[in-house]
Amino acid sequence: MAGTVTTITARHHRVRRATSESLPVKILLIIVVVLFFGLFLAMPLVVVFHEAFKHGVRAYVGYFADAATQHAIHLTLLVAAIAVPLNTIFGLAAAWAITRFRFRGKTLLTSLIDLPIWVSPVIGGLIYVLLFGRQGWFGPWLAENDIRIIFALPGIVLATIFVTFPFVARGLIPLMQAQGSAEEEAASTLGANGLQIFLRVTLPKIKWGLLYGVILCNARAMGEFGAVSVVSGHIRGKTNTMPLHVEILYNEYQFSAAFAVASLLAILALVTLILKAIAEWHAAHQLKAGSKAG
Amino acid sequence: MSIELHRISKSFGNFPAVQDANLTVETGKIVALLGPSGSGKTTILRIIAGLEFPERGRVHFEGVDVTNRSAYQRKAGFVFQSYALFNHLSIFENIAFGLRVLPGHKRPTKDKIREIVESLLEAVQLDGLGRRLPSQLSGGQRQRVAFARALAIEPRVLLLDEPFGALDAKVRKELRKWLRKFHDKTHLTTLFVTHDQEEAFEVADRVVIIDRGKIQQSGTPDEV
Repeated sequence: MAGTVTTITARHHRVRRATSESLPVKILLIIVVVLFFGLFLAMPLVVVFHEAFKHGVRAYVGYFADAATQHAIHLTLLVAAIAVPLNTIFGLAAAWAITRFRFRGKTLLTSLIDLPIWVSPVIGGLIYVLLFGRQGWFGPWLAENDIRIIFALPGIVLATIFVTFPFVARGLIPLMQAQGSAEEEAASTLGANGLQIFLRVTLPKIKWGLLYGVILCNARAMGEFGAVSVVSGHIRGKTNTMPLHVEILYNEYQFSAAFAVASLLAILALVTLILKAIAEWHAAHQLKAGSKAG
Repeated sequence: MSIELHRISKSFGNFPAVQDANLTVETGKIVALLGPSGSGKTTILRIIAGLEFPERGRVHFEGVDVTNRSAYQRKAGFVFQSYALFNHLSIFENIAFGLRVLPGHKRPTKDKIREIVESLLEAVQLDGLGRRLPSQLSGGQRQRVAFARALAIEPRVLLLDEPFGALDAKVRKELRKWLRKFHDKTHLTTLFVTHDQEEAFEVADRVVIIDRGKIQQSGTPDEV
């Protein structure tokens, strides 16, 4: 620990490096960044809250009394409550397999995990329509057995799982690669079985990285628009999640109500940002402590 | 307990790490596996511990074939070159680890575990440091924690991977003497890997020389 403290204080000493820039360049760069940040990030946030509270706090609270709005919030929470734990398990399993074993097709698996990031979410949603929709591959069979996937909760959950599945695995893989498997090997020579190794050695070492992935996964699960939009059918009070509800309210010229719901999503984003920063800091710290002790 | 390797081969991709190796460590003896880096000596040690599995050949402990048993069933005390201590656990918990993961009916009581760990801490001259974290210890101290942790499970054999590799010359000398003395006291069957001739000759009853994955020579320090 003492070593970590000294490196942090050392960083504060002003050292003029060959790569440092002249003052005008520095000022220019800072102005560009501040302007960009203000225009694209800070201002929209201010606008969201300004519009949401335009008619006062009472009106703001009033918007959430609407049954359809409440249903949208419930649905979003429910979908996240299903998708996030499933993706946590999947992400852990994938990261474990990729970082701890040598096998054929590992590179393929690693790129497949990233697939939802490169593919447009709309396509992600469309896949499920093509599979489970009325005209889809399994459509007739599902209709016969009276199972609804598209334009219902299962479809929304599937689409959300699809878009959010890279986050946990991607958060864990670099961390687990950097940590190596020496401690796990030591645990196994000491007689620990797979589950004991996972619970007593692996999990404590990756908990912050895992939390980081889960936070991002959750944020995306609650905020996803494109993929969910395709499979949901926008049935008010039935299959509308919060982001879809914002759009509907906006299209119906209920601007303040739309911004009120949007403000909830904005708060979620801010909380996510703070939690993410904390988790990131701890994960980096944990990695540093680990590499130091060896 | 004796260790016997019969015609072990192992390769990584196209690289043959170990080729057709025969090796015996007799009960109660301390044997050094001496070779340059990349000669396959660590791979042999890992195969004995069950951390790698050979493509061909058998591993026997006291005449019993353990080739298909996994590391946690073999319970060979293994001291890693980099120690591989559990960085999130205190020194005490590091040493207690092997006892805490025992199935319920074999696990000692909490008081008994405390007693065992305290006595091990004393044996490796680390009494009073149980509450520290590994990152708060020096290299030599960590090395001794790794020893104590491996010994806590009362292993049938002790496998040491470059046990003194990362230490400075003075600490090395002390620990070498300590290891030899410890072995004379316990007669725990021990195989240790080293690239240091002096170390091999000073500590071991018998030295096995390995190069490019093949066992070249074996005998007492005088013979070799």
